[in-house]
Amino acid sequence: MINEEALGWVVRTRDPDFADWDAFTAWLEADRAHASAYDALMLADSELDSILPSEPVAMPVAANDPGLRTRRPLRWIGGGAIAAALVATVSIAVLNRSDIYSVTTRPGETRVIALDDGTTVELNGGTTMRFDRKDARFAALDTGEAAFTVRHDEANPFRVTVGDTVFEDAGTVFNIVHTDAATRIGVSEGKVIYNPQAEAIALRAGRALAEDAQGLRVMDIAPAAVASWRQGRLVYANAAVGDISQDIGRSLGVTLTATPGARAMRFTGTIRLDRDPALFFAQAAPLMGLTAVRRGDGWLLQEGPTKEGNGPQS
Amino acid sequence: MATGLSAIFMANRAALLRFLRARGAGEDAEDLLQDMWMKLEAKDLGPVSDPLPYLYRMANNLMLDRYRSATRRERREQDWAEGAGGVMADPTEDIAVDDRMVLNEQLDQARAVLRDLGPRVEMVFRRFRIEGVGQRVIADELGVSLTTVEKDLQKAYRAMLMLKQKLDTE
Repeated sequence: MINEEALGWVVRTRDPDFADWDAFTAWLEADRAHASAYDALMLADSELDSILPSEPVAMPVAANDPGLRTRRPLRWIGGGAIAAALVATVSIAVLNRSDIYSVTTRPGETRVIALDDGTTVELNGGTTMRFDRKDARFAALDTGEAAFTVRHDEANPFRVTVGDTVFEDAGTVFNIVHTDAATRIGVSEGKVIYNPQAEAIALRAGRALAEDAQGLRVMDIAPAAVASWRQGRLVYANAAVGDISQDIGRSLGVTLTATPGARAMRFTGTIRLDRDPALFFAQAAPLMGLTAVRRGDGWLLQEGPTKEGNGPQS
Repeated sequence: MATGLSAIFMANRAALLRFLRARGAGEDAEDLLQDMWMKLEAKDLGPVSDPLPYLYRMANNLMLDRYRSATRRERREQDWAEGAGGVMADPTEDIAVDDRMVLNEQLDQARAVLRDLGPRVEMVFRRFRIEGVGQRVIADELGVSLTTVEKDLQKAYRAMLMLKQKLDTE
């Protein structure tokens, strides 16, 4: 079995900033067996390399690899079924004493909800949320994007439920995007706690968190970029065009798709939203190094600059 | 050529010797220290931000290398003894398709183990073990305490080492 004390020293001494070599020496001197326990675990650690997924994100799955394909969704279904069972029992209890109502915006439509406690929630287009008439500290983002300006109350924190995830405010302005594939949050003021009962990751102003097929990541975000859609702008730092096109679709109320090549591209900069899609794409697509072309009722983003005679007028 | 590092080395010679002895170097401790000195003299490393931890790290790595090569030698001798009656695999052959499938299967298992630890533990372990980020930085990134990060790492290590053990005995 694993020697826990030695494992503790493996974890500590493997840190690039480890400096307490005196304490380590003292531990080694306490028992001659300590050195060999440590050596054995350090060797085991280096041998982990062969089974460590070296890529920091999920490996691309080959289309002809059915094994992996089915494994992931299965796990999701499992989790979803449990979550659904929990929700079912909870909502029966909740229905008796509360008054849940739902608010939906159409793509391109925005709406501001002022809750009794002084909190405002701004819904971007294509968004569905639930609130509780009897509990102003509850909100659930089922799909879409919303910006929260929360009146902080230490004793009774404001909580947003997003799928299985809970975000708890600690005096805060923040924005959440929730799609089928991902949940993203950016904090522009105060602090938000991700899943206070479990991971309890604290997000300060200027921090963002993303949860998607690649796992969980935290990163920096310019506070001014958080919920910039409210000012008719979308601000990005190294964001995937796939995410951006969803944001644009939601904000402008257009059906927007992107070629796989375009989706994988990244963009840094500010996009000004314009109600006229033709004007908007003529300006925004070249910014991202892309071309927007009409496809039936919607638009398609594809790689490469506009070619002669391939403009929107053709 | 004497660098700042050499001066620190001389000033802390006794402490480093004590460390090597505690690390299990026994009577080779003096020789190892001499090796370290030669290495320091041979290449001018330029300024090192934390010279003393750097020297300890170097000594620790020397001991790890010793242990590693001793273990490998032992395993080779064992393999030889076990394999003597059978057919030895051709070492020049590329990894066989079967082996690659086994490897992919093992990677999948490792991914599943990491995923089951929960997103925070998985992220902490990835940042630390795969991307080489320090625990202080990870704690700041996540807004959690250093103790939490250390506990997460121990948990992840325990699970991964158990998996490795299981795979090796299969």
